[in-house]
Amino acid sequence: MKHPRLKSLAALTLVALGLSSCAAGGNDAPAVDSEARLVVDNFRAPVSNWALESDDAYVLSISGCLETLTRYDQKAQEVVPMLATEWKQSAEKTWDFTLREGVTFQDGSALDAQSVTDALNHVLKATAPARAVNPKTISAVEALDENTVRVSTPSADPLLPYRMASVNAGVLSPAAYTKDGIDPFGHCTGPFTPVSEQAGQSLTVDRNEDYWGGDVKLAGGEIRFITEGPTRATQVQTGEADISMSIPATSLATLEADPAVELAKADSPRTSTLYLNNSRAPFDNVDVRRAVTKALDVSAIADSVYEGAATGATGPFAPSEPWALADAQVPATDVEAAKKLVESSGFTQDKPLEIIAITERAEFAAVGTIIQERLKQIGIESTVVTKSYGAVEPQLLKGDYDMLLSQRNRMIDIANPIGFLQADYTCEGSYNLSGYCNPEYDKLVSAAAAEKDEKARNDLYRQAGQLLADDAVNVWLVNEQAIDGVRTEVSGYVQDPLTRYVMTKDLAKTK
Amino acid sequence: MTPVLSLLLRRALGLGAAVLLSSIAVFLVPFVSPGDPVRNLLRARMDLGTADDATVAAYAEQLGLNEPLWKQYLDWLGRFLHGDMGLSYVSGTPVVDRVLPALGVTLLLAGSAILIAVLVSIVLGVISALRAEKLSDRTITSITHALIAIPEYAMAPLAVLLFAVRLAWLPSAGLSSAASLVLPVAVLCLRPISFFTIAVRSGVLETLGSEHVLAARARGLNEARVLLRHVIPHSLLPLSTMTGVWFAGLLGGSVIVEVIFALPGMGRLVYDAIVDSDLPMAQGGVVLVVMCAVLVTTVVDLIHQLSDRSANLEVSGVS
Repeated sequence: MKHPRLKSLAALTLVALGLSSCAAGGNDAPAVDSEARLVVDNFRAPVSNWALESDDAYVLSISGCLETLTRYDQKAQEVVPMLATEWKQSAEKTWDFTLREGVTFQDGSALDAQSVTDALNHVLKATAPARAVNPKTISAVEALDENTVRVSTPSADPLLPYRMASVNAGVLSPAAYTKDGIDPFGHCTGPFTPVSEQAGQSLTVDRNEDYWGGDVKLAGGEIRFITEGPTRATQVQTGEADISMSIPATSLATLEADPAVELAKADSPRTSTLYLNNSRAPFDNVDVRRAVTKALDVSAIADSVYEGAATGATGPFAPSEPWALADAQVPATDVEAAKKLVESSGFTQDKPLEIIAITERAEFAAVGTIIQERLKQIGIESTVVTKSYGAVEPQLLKGDYDMLLSQRNRMIDIANPIGFLQADYTCEGSYNLSGYCNPEYDKLVSAAAAEKDEKARNDLYRQAGQLLADDAVNVWLVNEQAIDGVRTEVSGYVQDPLTRYVMTKDLAKTK
Repeated sequence: MTPVLSLLLRRALGLGAAVLLSSIAVFLVPFVSPGDPVRNLLRARMDLGTADDATVAAYAEQLGLNEPLWKQYLDWLGRFLHGDMGLSYVSGTPVVDRVLPALGVTLLLAGSAILIAVLVSIVLGVISALRAEKLSDRTITSITHALIAIPEYAMAPLAVLLFAVRLAWLPSAGLSSAASLVLPVAVLCLRPISFFTIAVRSGVLETLGSEHVLAARARGLNEARVLLRHVIPHSLLPLSTMTGVWFAGLLGGSVIVEVIFALPGMGRLVYDAIVDSDLPMAQGGVVLVVMCAVLVTTVVDLIHQLSDRSANLEVSGVS
């Protein structure tokens, strides 16, 4: 009797909610659609007015705009030509790069040695310089002739071609460097031209018809800046996005069950690590550190907390890396042996040790609780506190902590671990949170930094990594997987765990 | 001085005080929080950064962060009073270029949510009051009470799952079309609907028993006319106050919805700015929100005063 009114009201509300519904329809056909535009959900949003020394350079690279002199080929695991066709170490501290001929910026100006020199010098002059390309790694850039750029380094640097593949070493046309900042619109060399930006939302790109690398298959695309992982996962599931980068572990099961989505997985260069403060008791004692390593079942942590989005770590490197430890195995768990090590080390405590779990990684709170329980079993009492990294960083840099759950990118902007090995573990390392100092290790890393032969260099990395593992400097918990969700109608997508390349000329969508 | 003028004067003074206090509070946040504000800024530009001390010092110098705190604040205030919100410490671009579009998004979001909440709650509240203690009243009351307890962070994913994933009717996130606003607005308006409906129901019930309604009925007016002319207008006065307060709250308080639905609104902008220690951005955003909030509540109070005067005149039989 009174219900009809209520029903109408409810119906009205539902109609209001459902208005403007956009039904998703899809026609599957194998042919590539040359008019297709592709939507990529990126986890990173540009915040620095496209400053190339900042992480905004990643967004420009992902969008198919920004290119560099060299490029790191993930499959071949080597540096390959991009805007430079060849390079050579002309003297101990200088490298000469020969530019690709016939390349023009999207505004029509030619790529020449002067424009490259100006672009690199602009980044080098930044107040907060890039990690891979800064005055400490590059002392000068000059144009030798119209087609040759000379890059000088403060000391011999066999890895300079790697640095030139860093997105921060990207090259834009001279017109992009304005007094108000970087203007990338129409000033790149890549397969796509940025045409419009919705601040904090997205960047729209169109095909570069004159791309030096040949025909570009897509008509264009949109890079959306979606920082929430579950939202990115939802968008690739609904078809609102064609590619969603960095799918969180919590969304994996849903996407795996969806036949319209494929998951691209690769070892990421990030390892979740339990940092142990080697500079003070009790972790200045190697036996206590080894006991902690033996106590933890890292494979179980990977399976339970990470739900398949990570694998138990075998040491400081992922097994797929060319410098991975030989015959590396996940450390065996042996609680009894760990307990004996703790007892024989003379370990005593008058208060619980503190495990700091950084809040930037939500899963660390759960990991911390598991570690706390395991430590208790071997006679070490601990507490878990969650803090934001920013809040705790000064304390960490001073060495004022016991244990820290954090994660670290081994390949800090270059596809090589040298920066990580130097900064994190050498006696004078700028980010040596563990407080580890071993002259033998420093010697190995110095030798690696100067080694020209790649195979020999990788071998030195391996030896250094083995030393870290033998000294149980930290507990490397899990190697994280880079997981991207890709709609089945997308073709030509090559996943880059370093998140630099997405919109390439070969990326396409089928009709 | 007329009451309206007096109100406007008081509000103008209040606005000045509110801007001053809120900007001081925001200004102090990075300095009373643990961590180094300059490293926070650098981290916003370069992920989990490991900037060395020299870089941190150079960046601080460039931004003038080595100056005494009071000087930094007065510099900002001086610029602000001249209409200059300054440059973002992270992007180096004018703050105004970011806060105004963000304010636009939030005004659209909050305005739509409040408008829908008002319309729906008037209908529900009146039905509920007219059918007091009957099934429809009990149903509406139960639903509105239940909705009060469901926070946005729980309702938003449910709405996405149902309307974006399962039914594929609406976009799950972003701001690409008007349809993108439907889910966030729907999520944001649910709790105000609940509170407003309770207020309208109670107001209508109270007004129904008032003398002037009895008088209207005695004059032989039919029920619909009594309801439309004498009951509903008088019952909505408390709602206007609530509307102002909720609207002001949503201007800065819709951060969760903005994050989940990837909307570039003011809540998210200010939250990110505070996390990154981007003081000019945070101050510009908060001050703008405070100004809007004071403006909205002033307008609501003015409506109140004018309504009271007209109600007094009506009761005394002038109209």
